[in-house]
Amino acid sequence: MKLGEARWLWTLLIVAAAVPAARGLWLDLPSTGSKCISEELHNNAVVLADYYAFIGEDYDVNATQTPTITVKVTSPYGNEIHHSEKVAHGQFAFTATEAGNYLACFSLDGDQGGKKVTVGIDWKTGIAAKDWETVARKEKIEGLELELKKLEEAVETIHNNLYHLVNREAEMREVSESTNARVAWYSLMALTICIVTSILQVLYLRRYFRKKKLI
Amino acid sequence: MKMGMLMFLMMVVVIGCLMRVGLGIRFVIDKEECFSHNILYEGDVVHSSFVVIKADNAWHHVDDGIDFVIKGPGGEKIKEFHDKISDKYEFIAERKGIYHFCFSNKSPFHETVDFDVLVGHYRTYDQHAKSEHFNPVVEQISKLEEALYNIQFEQHWLEAQTDRQALVNESMSQRAVFKAIFESLALIGASSLQVFLLQRLFERKLGTSRV
Repeated sequence: MKLGEARWLWTLLIVAAAVPAARGLWLDLPSTGSKCISEELHNNAVVLADYYAFIGEDYDVNATQTPTITVKVTSPYGNEIHHSEKVAHGQFAFTATEAGNYLACFSLDGDQGGKKVTVGIDWKTGIAAKDWETVARKEKIEGLELELKKLEEAVETIHNNLYHLVNREAEMREVSESTNARVAWYSLMALTICIVTSILQVLYLRRYFRKKKLI
Repeated sequence: MKMGMLMFLMMVVVIGCLMRVGLGIRFVIDKEECFSHNILYEGDVVHSSFVVIKADNAWHHVDDGIDFVIKGPGGEKIKEFHDKISDKYEFIAERKGIYHFCFSNKSPFHETVDFDVLVGHYRTYDQHAKSEHFNPVVEQISKLEEALYNIQFEQHWLEAQTDRQALVNESMSQRAVFKAIFESLALIGASSLQVFLLQRLFERKLGTSRV
């Protein structure tokens, strides 16, 4: 390996390691109100999230003007998992104790001079959120073996997700079939009510006309 | 030793480069919503998918979709979807920069949309790898990793679509019950109205003829 090529590898390594802040999705914050994003999580899902706010088109670590935002993360039952005010960047991590929709809301702290504030969110769940350094240290594996272990976990996650999907489809099929059965029964019931009501009508009217001596 | 060190370095670079850069999020769209993502290397394969999970109107089920536009760093439109409920699209990023993914909602109701983006770095690495006697095992493992991340991405899309269908199913079931109850009440109401009108008619007729 020549030095020139090694230098390229080093730059790539540094770039890959040093731009975690540039990852994630960016969204614009309105000047009033909040923007919320949610994610459907299973029980015991681990979430690691990184958020950063900036003004302008691109994220600059050395920017002098940093806006401040308020962040609120709530669980599906309304419990607050994380709440910070007047921060420009931060992290939060939690393990989902309840399965359901978790909401993360971002809002601007007051008026930031009318400029467009963008929030970047790097949201990692599942294997990307796992602490691979600890695993590597604990099991004394590194390099290729660690990579293969990650892939094994990824395959496991895919397998579990597939089971989950199969169960959902079975549930949906049951609901569809019960809806079908219900529609059939209700049509029969409606028809029966129709017939019964018309018989009652005839009986009542006959009694009425007899009373009025018309028949 | 140097070779080993460099091999390890390459491994770390591969791991660093192929961390799944993507996330699936759900958000509620009012009229317009835009997301941006910084694509760091040109030649990256960008996968994006969206599914409309539900519309915030409890009763009226309308299958109008939303519009989805992908714009490149210079503002050029890479792909447009109009009135779609769910779709997915892959493209190779011609240049690096900030790409915009914009949604617009034409219906008057709020809609919950699930959006996912996956960026794969493998393609760029391929060109350099061939010229540098790269370890074929590591290369194959990188390909495997990319394929697995693609599968996860597609699974996320499938899950979102299943969510949508589950909601449609449940609302259909509820509507069947409501329709049946409403129909029965309407029938009973109509027949009592008939009886009442007939009674009134004959009472009037009787009244005028008997007097």
